[in-house]
Amino acid sequence: MGEIVRVENLSFRYPEAAKFAVRDFELTIKGGEIVMLAGPSGCGKSTLLRTVNGLIPHMYTGEYLGSVSVGDHKVSEARMSELAQTVGLLFQNPENQIFMFSVERDIAFGLENLAVPPDEIRARVDEAMRQLGITDLAQRAPHELSDGQKQRVALAGVIVMRPRLIILDEPTSLLDPKTAVELVELVRRLRDETGITFLIVEHRLELLVRIADRLVVMSEGKKVLDGRPEEILADERAEAYGISIPPVSRLRNQLKRDGLPLENGFGPDELAEELNRQALKR
Amino acid sequence: MYWVAGGFIFRRVDSPFHSLDPRVKLLISAELFVVSLTAYSVTQLAVVMGVMLCIAAVAKILKRVGRTLVFSAGFSVFIFVINLFARQSLLTSAIYSVRFLAIIISTSLFFITTSPDELEQVMKSAHLPRDVVFAFTTAVRFIPVLMLDAIQIVDAQKSRGLEVEKGNLIKRVRKMVPVLIPLVVNSVIRSGELAEAMESRAYGAVPRPTSLNRYSSSKRDKLVAAGSLILFIITVYIYVRFPTPL
Amino acid sequence: MIEFRDVTFVHQTGKTALRDVSLKVEKAEMLAVVGENGAGKTTLVKHVNGLLKPTKGTVLVDGEDTRLKSTAELSRKVGIAFQNPDHQLFSESVEAETTFALKNFGFSRELINQRLNWALQFFGLDEYRNSSPLALSGGEKKRLTLACILAWDPEVVILDEPTVGQDAIQKEKLSGIIKMLRSTGKTTIIVSHDVEFIWPLQPRLVVMSQGRIVADGPAHTLMGDEKLLEGARVMQPQLVKLYQRLRRRPDSPFASVNDARMWITGPVGVG
Repeated sequence: MGEIVRVENLSFRYPEAAKFAVRDFELTIKGGEIVMLAGPSGCGKSTLLRTVNGLIPHMYTGEYLGSVSVGDHKVSEARMSELAQTVGLLFQNPENQIFMFSVERDIAFGLENLAVPPDEIRARVDEAMRQLGITDLAQRAPHELSDGQKQRVALAGVIVMRPRLIILDEPTSLLDPKTAVELVELVRRLRDETGITFLIVEHRLELLVRIADRLVVMSEGKKVLDGRPEEILADERAEAYGISIPPVSRLRNQLKRDGLPLENGFGPDELAEELNRQALKR
Repeated sequence: MYWVAGGFIFRRVDSPFHSLDPRVKLLISAELFVVSLTAYSVTQLAVVMGVMLCIAAVAKILKRVGRTLVFSAGFSVFIFVINLFARQSLLTSAIYSVRFLAIIISTSLFFITTSPDELEQVMKSAHLPRDVVFAFTTAVRFIPVLMLDAIQIVDAQKSRGLEVEKGNLIKRVRKMVPVLIPLVVNSVIRSGELAEAMESRAYGAVPRPTSLNRYSSSKRDKLVAAGSLILFIITVYIYVRFPTPL
Repeated sequence: MIEFRDVTFVHQTGKTALRDVSLKVEKAEMLAVVGENGAGKTTLVKHVNGLLKPTKGTVLVDGEDTRLKSTAELSRKVGIAFQNPDHQLFSESVEAETTFALKNFGFSRELINQRLNWALQFFGLDEYRNSSPLALSGGEKKRLTLACILAWDPEVVILDEPTVGQDAIQKEKLSGIIKMLRSTGKTTIIVSHDVEFIWPLQPRLVVMSQGRIVADGPAHTLMGDEKLLEGARVMQPQLVKLYQRLRRRPDSPFASVNDARMWITGPVGVG
């Protein structure tokens, strides 16, 4: 598959700000990839996401240099309605992106806005509910749902637009760990079934490193690291940039520094395997 | 707060009244409202209340209507007393206070049985501008959310020593500041996020969006509407033609 | 210091949020309450400062029944830092925000000044003394809410999901603050589903599930009980999982979790 996202030399400064929120940013994402974006608070992640889905520059103006292309569109030139069908953005708080008082009405929201014929809306809403496993919630009111369910409803409302890229902004921050794991599994399944590309901003790296193809680290508006997740986690500079390295990865790095011939990897299970093997060798 | 909740918040119920076209429900409610407002004798009020209670029974919401009556009783008594002070007779004052209750019930009947979805439908068929309808329905959708926010804010401020019950009127009003400001700030933040989500889902892309659900009224709806209109006209006629004294 | 005696709590909606909960917390103890969202953790701690009163059973704080006191009275001894700073910041300045509770509690002017200065210093907020609280960053707002509470020096400090939305650096700072609380003898209760944050603190662990306390003991024991954690939908800390996996293979050279831990963290290259 070709490129879905191309960010070239992007810099953006909000009107009243002294500093650029995003500086000389370069990023290419291929179709079907799951890319993670990490960085400390204030590093510019949220700003970057909004330059990809078009909120910058269409809703937020400022000093905009460089270019962003998504699919066949140049973001600064296309209309939001065109961009909405190519890239979807799932915001951090699911509550504030559900407008309607029934789940299926809300999922239909984007399609209604694009004047899609009612029969087609029906079919696509049903499909989205099936993909997200929430068909039984169709008539429910949003305030009756759990956080995890709201998250799925919001995601359904995005996926129903049939975008090629879906951006998730800290999707697990309000979820408990088990629900977060379920969401992550869902994302992987969606990518495998539909081929949709995912760009996910997340602090809790251990949740996503298993499904991510790439991990990009951002600091003070710039991209500082970009590579396979296990390589980045093994990179000494990663922690210095303010991202939280999962405990087992940190231990793995420590042991490597102490001389143990370990490979890159994640998770307690793999490390335990390797260590057992190492110990037996002696 | 419970008065509002009991009398005006929609809850899903399976009843012949609930399943009527919302425009018919609005019509019936409006008719009852006018008849209540212009009633001036004990018999008239008794009949109107009787009719409304029958409708409430059919709609399976008698309990909630009962609760609304109980909570409105306070203000009703207040009206009674004020009228006495204004030198009205006992009977007239009683009629005014019962009339107030009847008005409340007539409007409450509509809101309790009509979902926000249906409210939106009514507004759309009245050809109100799309933005107005959207603003309204979004506001209704967020009422429970804001109520929850308010509770959490009050909890947080109580935990910092804010005594909401104590103090004279002035002090109590000042005490609302630590609750109102976060509430407003949160609402503003929320609106900002909603705006982003709206943009991202192509709101405003076309002047005339389509709709998932199509609404049309059935024969039954039309019959009920016609029937109620006839009754309404008859009632008004009776009021005018036979002005019965108190 | 805090005691729950067979407490059951039923919401107005009819939902039972706490069932037969009994718990004793001694002075200066550190407690972590874990469990999935909806297990009753926040409901539990809201009983400690009287925001909620038990439907059945009794909650005692320093020997007194919470039913007999208002939240404002109990808050003098029990400070709760809620999850969302935007639910409490409202003043024109950081200084006014920090002194709000102090004034409510009737502190003298000298004491207010003293506590204010200490709090702003300790939390690194002195430079924002005259700024609007609403203009601060997320992490600063969080620190401010903590400063507001510690300003009045409650004996019990409860943190409700303190790590939500915080990045690595902010979590480090939080960890440091909690350790400070412990060392100054405060009774600390942390409600959290972030097991990686809790594990290094090695607190007493209370596991909740569906309104009940299903386990109560030291973290290093309970975190090893996979079945328990599975049932309560709580994640196991990565390092604990690692130590257990090391022991799991039949031909594993490690006889106990301690062996594994020593082999890993002790001098490497033994053998």
